[in-house]
Amino acid sequence: MQSWIVNMLSALVAALLATSPVFAQVEPVFATSQSEIDFFENSIRPIFAVECAGCHGAQLQMADLNLTTAEGFFKGSARGAIVDPERPAESVLLQVVGHQGKVKMPPPGPLSPENVSALGKWVEMGAPWPSDDSAAVVAPSDGAKPGLWAFQPVKDHEPPKVADQDWVRTPIDRFILARLEDKDVRPSAPAEKLQLLRRAKFDLHGLPPSEQEIEEFLSDTAPEAMARLVDRLLASPRYGEKWGRHWLDVARYADSTGLDEDYRLPHSWRYRDYVVDAFNRDLPFDQFVREQLAGDLMPADEPGDINTRGIIATGFLALGVKPLAQQDKMQVVYDVVDEQLDTVSKAFMGMTVTCARCHDHKFDPISTKDYYSMASIFASTKSFEDAESFVSEVYFAALVEPEIYEVYRKEQERLKARRYSIESIRDLGVADYVQRTLIPRLPDYMIAARQVREDGVPTAAARAELDEGVLQAWIEYLKPGQFRPYLDKWERAKPSEWLAAAEEYRELYATTSQWWSTELKSWGAEAEEAIRAGDDAPDKPAFDRGGMELEGRFFLEVSSGEGPFSVAKEDRESILSDGVRARLTSLSEELEAWTKAAPPEPPLACAIAEGEPVDQSVFVGGSHKNPGETVPKHFPVALRGAWQSPIESGSGRKELADWLASPDHPLTARVYVNRVWQWHFGEGLVRSSNNFGSTGEQPTHPELLDYLAKRFVESGWSTKALHRMIMLSSAYQMSSQSSEAVSEADPENRLWSHFLRRRLTVEEMRDSLLALDGSLDLTMGGRIDDGLKKDEYGPDATFNPDSVSRRTLYLPLVRNKLPSLYRLFDFADAGASSARRNESNIAPQALYAMNSDFVKSRAYALAEIVVRGSEDDAERLERAYRLILGRAPGGGAEPSIEYVRSYPAGDAEGESTHLAGWASLCRILMASNEFHYVD
Amino acid sequence: MANIIKSEMMKNISRQGMSRRAVLRQAACGFGTLGLSSLLAQEQALAATGPGNPLAAKVPHFAPRAKRVIFVFMHGGPSHVDTFDPKPLLTRDNGKPIPFKRSLTFAEDKLGGLMKSPWEFKQYGQSGIPVSELFPKVAQHVDDLCIIRSMVSDGVDHGGAVLQLQTGTINFTRPSMGAWSLYGLGTENQNLPGFITIMPSLYHGGAKHWGAGFLPGAYEGTPLGNDKMAAKDLMDEPIEHLLANGVTSDQQRYEIEILQKMNRRHALERNSDPKLEARIQAFELASRMQLEASEVFAVNTESEATKKLYGLDNEVTHDFAWQCLLARRLSERGVRFVQCSHSYKWDQHTELARKHSQNAREVDTPIAGLLTDLKSRGLLDDTLVLWGGEFGRTPFAERDGRDHNPYGYTMWMAGGGVKPGFIYGATDDYGYHAVEDRMHLHDLHATILHLLGLDHEKLTYPFGGRDYRLTDVHGVVAHKILA
Repeated sequence: MQSWIVNMLSALVAALLATSPVFAQVEPVFATSQSEIDFFENSIRPIFAVECAGCHGAQLQMADLNLTTAEGFFKGSARGAIVDPERPAESVLLQVVGHQGKVKMPPPGPLSPENVSALGKWVEMGAPWPSDDSAAVVAPSDGAKPGLWAFQPVKDHEPPKVADQDWVRTPIDRFILARLEDKDVRPSAPAEKLQLLRRAKFDLHGLPPSEQEIEEFLSDTAPEAMARLVDRLLASPRYGEKWGRHWLDVARYADSTGLDEDYRLPHSWRYRDYVVDAFNRDLPFDQFVREQLAGDLMPADEPGDINTRGIIATGFLALGVKPLAQQDKMQVVYDVVDEQLDTVSKAFMGMTVTCARCHDHKFDPISTKDYYSMASIFASTKSFEDAESFVSEVYFAALVEPEIYEVYRKEQERLKARRYSIESIRDLGVADYVQRTLIPRLPDYMIAARQVREDGVPTAAARAELDEGVLQAWIEYLKPGQFRPYLDKWERAKPSEWLAAAEEYRELYATTSQWWSTELKSWGAEAEEAIRAGDDAPDKPAFDRGGMELEGRFFLEVSSGEGPFSVAKEDRESILSDGVRARLTSLSEELEAWTKAAPPEPPLACAIAEGEPVDQSVFVGGSHKNPGETVPKHFPVALRGAWQSPIESGSGRKELADWLASPDHPLTARVYVNRVWQWHFGEGLVRSSNNFGSTGEQPTHPELLDYLAKRFVESGWSTKALHRMIMLSSAYQMSSQSSEAVSEADPENRLWSHFLRRRLTVEEMRDSLLALDGSLDLTMGGRIDDGLKKDEYGPDATFNPDSVSRRTLYLPLVRNKLPSLYRLFDFADAGASSARRNESNIAPQALYAMNSDFVKSRAYALAEIVVRGSEDDAERLERAYRLILGRAPGGGAEPSIEYVRSYPAGDAEGESTHLAGWASLCRILMASNEFHYVD
Repeated sequence: MANIIKSEMMKNISRQGMSRRAVLRQAACGFGTLGLSSLLAQEQALAATGPGNPLAAKVPHFAPRAKRVIFVFMHGGPSHVDTFDPKPLLTRDNGKPIPFKRSLTFAEDKLGGLMKSPWEFKQYGQSGIPVSELFPKVAQHVDDLCIIRSMVSDGVDHGGAVLQLQTGTINFTRPSMGAWSLYGLGTENQNLPGFITIMPSLYHGGAKHWGAGFLPGAYEGTPLGNDKMAAKDLMDEPIEHLLANGVTSDQQRYEIEILQKMNRRHALERNSDPKLEARIQAFELASRMQLEASEVFAVNTESEATKKLYGLDNEVTHDFAWQCLLARRLSERGVRFVQCSHSYKWDQHTELARKHSQNAREVDTPIAGLLTDLKSRGLLDDTLVLWGGEFGRTPFAERDGRDHNPYGYTMWMAGGGVKPGFIYGATDDYGYHAVEDRMHLHDLHATILHLLGLDHEKLTYPFGGRDYRLTDVHGVVAHKILA
């Protein structure tokens, strides 16, 4: 029987709130007769041992409750006693295990009625314990630790015997067939060869088989044809692109920070390319784990080099969402820590531990102490260059020696300082012009504008000497109803007061303008001084004057943007004095020369590094404002035991990586082989592949899962070996067509009686459509910048997937602005680790297939190929079907030559109905279910 | 031959327990049905209740007060003390240092003393509820408004605040409230998306605001353009890929008919796999959507009086008028959740007076028009209109504007089972913190779901090892505001 993991705390809280005040601790009761002792040992202690001790035992006392000793039992939990001697029937213990109250323990189902009644009887007796209770609770008889199935060590299992030996190709088949035979279900027939090829090709490459591949495979009748095919597919770089993308879902990979600011992560692509490369090289998975968690701490392949691959690999920790603009900066840091811990525990352990940020995990044996012990590792890791700045700055790691990077950085500062001094000189020149020519006339402009408003025209005298354009701008600016409080005084002035009032505004403007010129001047001087001294460029002064209610706002509005005294960019050159212009020219030339000579940007990575080690406290209720006891850095007690030597130096990432990548870890290999199985079959042996906890699903074939995990580790954690074992099995090569009897016996395919038909993913769909007409660009890796700024996305940045024909995995992923293509076709939300894609079928997808520019272009490109390729319509038809569906036309319900010939005329004059008809036929085949589903 | 196919079909039907809808469709040969309106209507009725359709209308937990929601979102954070929450003490103490402790602010410096509102407040209607000069037309409707003056949320920055308003959390990716509503109730019109967000902002979370998060993708909102676009560039094809592209409708019908035939035979050869069936249905719905959506977006068919009512005839109000009028047309046709967005304009850290005036002028007439129109059509009774931003603004100055204030601010509701002409809750004397009947965003979400007939504690979805709710582990329904 499964031993459920419980959290008594929340049960107690709920039960207590619902029923009565907190119970006081009760006096221990000890057995007074042998029959009481026997009853306890035979009926009660086994319940505690099997059902409860995983969380409330010697190692782990969730909610401070220990049900394995009399002392612990009578002390009760953090909230007090769990038995009520006065009213035994109402004891919290019984309410909770009987699933009577709001909170039900153990979580997934109540104890058996016998156990409930035994506990009831025992509590009624006064809950007597043996007086000599030094013995720990006996472990279950099979020697396993109490707790989750997934926490038990991986066991090797002999593949079972089966009746139908002919069906068995690999040991996997024995595990599958044994269960099928047991249930008297026949596995589906083998898939047809073309189906199998298409399945394998999409599976390993995410692309349809080419005409040549089809011919080769169909004509290879040797028994080892499939093995040859798998080897060939695994050797192609297309393989890493497909399987790397699977892992990128788990790693919640994207190219921006998401959430509020959604800043670009300009170097994230290096991590993506690392993942693709890792799959192509069949990097042992244990090393893949280590590198992603602590690659920066591992030595480079060549001694003395910087381990650039290792640093890039830690992008795994760096690429999550980040609330950069949140003003509680401690919260920012711990939200990122939480996000990292969440991703690590889901990705490698199939565990959701982050519930324990606020309270002990409700269902799994993860306490808040465990959470903060692990969080401590990431809190001691550097994820930010500057977390404290107004918008927190993300850390980028230089992939060169620090000295080289510093030279580059210094030169960038020098260039910036020079740009600043140029800007200051230009702005001063403009200000000087405004001060000399416009400011003295400011009252004239204001009054003239007012005259136009009130009388329709200004006095001729006034107008004659004013610039018409500037006057128009003043009229516009002073239009009533603009709610500019600083103009109230002007608005209130009577005609007789206009002159005096306008004079006041001139005075204000002139003073502000002088002040701002002084600021600009000293800024320019500082910039030049920084260049001389080799200092960093000084920040541009902020315009802030007089609380901005009056003179500051007035000056800004009038002098910038559409303001009447602003000087348009294109006019600036002409108003500067010759001297200023000459000076600007020479400085700009020098800047250009410096820019050319500047060292190029060294490669950077979105990565993490060692930070200041922290003494982590438990944050009570998840709030950093409420620190509790300090915890050492260690791993969850339920997995690693209560007596771990704490990690004393460094962040602990190295130790975490070693622990997770150890062959003995009960979860890492199991979780990964289950993912690989799921990516092949559409479902995992454990269906909840990111959740091996008690609320997750049980494996359909636990022995097979363990068998695969064992073989995987034995193979040197080789993913490609695992692919071969799986793909060469009969189980993988079954037809997706199930008989009526099989559908009834195994509706959810938990017996793996047939292969699951699946729809193409968004990447497969787009890549395939591009591949059909030969326009798919197979360039690998790198960064695509089309339509995007290099350093940050900004809200206006948009990327149009139609603008490039690279494989979809290389397109930039702006978290908050994913092109609709991705959202329409169930792309994994990169907000958190994603175990699997949805397969939704919604009308907008159909609209995309019918009306998108992308599909239209593909249809016409294919029609061109088909029409140009032959004069003969029958040959054209054949070609269209072979190109798109990989088979000959079948007639009947499918579009034929007749379809093209009867294609209705369009609106456009002289349009080639013929080509349009072929394009339509191609579009149909591309939109067909046959194309979009893999049998 | 026909008989063989038919008997084959019936066998499949009985085996797969195929819905009556599918039978109708197969019998009528799919896109040939486009002209058969009575059959369509039947299909429609079946689709709305049929099994297997994630968007089928569902029975709520209890009798709903509102059948649909229109959220008029003022992105940026309109100032409550300048709109619906007058504070005489602010006027009296204008310019004085703040007499209270400042909570975490967004702006780091340049924060000043108390700042009075540049606008006068007047009492309106039977209820005598005060509204500032910013909203003279909405003010005419105060007797229909339920003004919540005690809103509270957790996000001090826009990102967290908008995300919490739309999804309940400030720092994770969760389903949006529109998606939750659709998940809970389905939608009444299968020919239109059930959740539509008009010209949403891509700032501060972007697509997350209408996303389905971990809910099935079918519950995701359909955006009509975004706030970077002008309404005029959007009015012809508000839904992406809606219109036939380079083909006539005759050509498209010809094409889709054989596509569906091909797909149907393909499915038949595969035991009518429900996945394949679902994709066939998606194409049918797409075609119907092309018809119905074209009709619903034809705003120009409205009378001149109606256009004027919303301000569609005025340059300043045109864009938001289009949003509000469209919201009515969509709601009228059974779209469950519609959001209009005035983005991202209300963030007046500076120049409060000028810019809040501009903003209010752009939305006052359209919103008032929407309320008038809904009421005159009898739609206001079961349509919940919600107005507000992601937070309010501080009673103290930041330069010549105000900083973010999530500690106490105003949103209002109208119709859909809330008390009309009612003020709920209060902020302190200066309008900084909500002090009476505090309504946290979680409570607002719980209350909206309640009005829709959903128990926010029961509307759960299992993900990553636990059941999630829009309200997480919080939320109390504000029973006092229920009519």
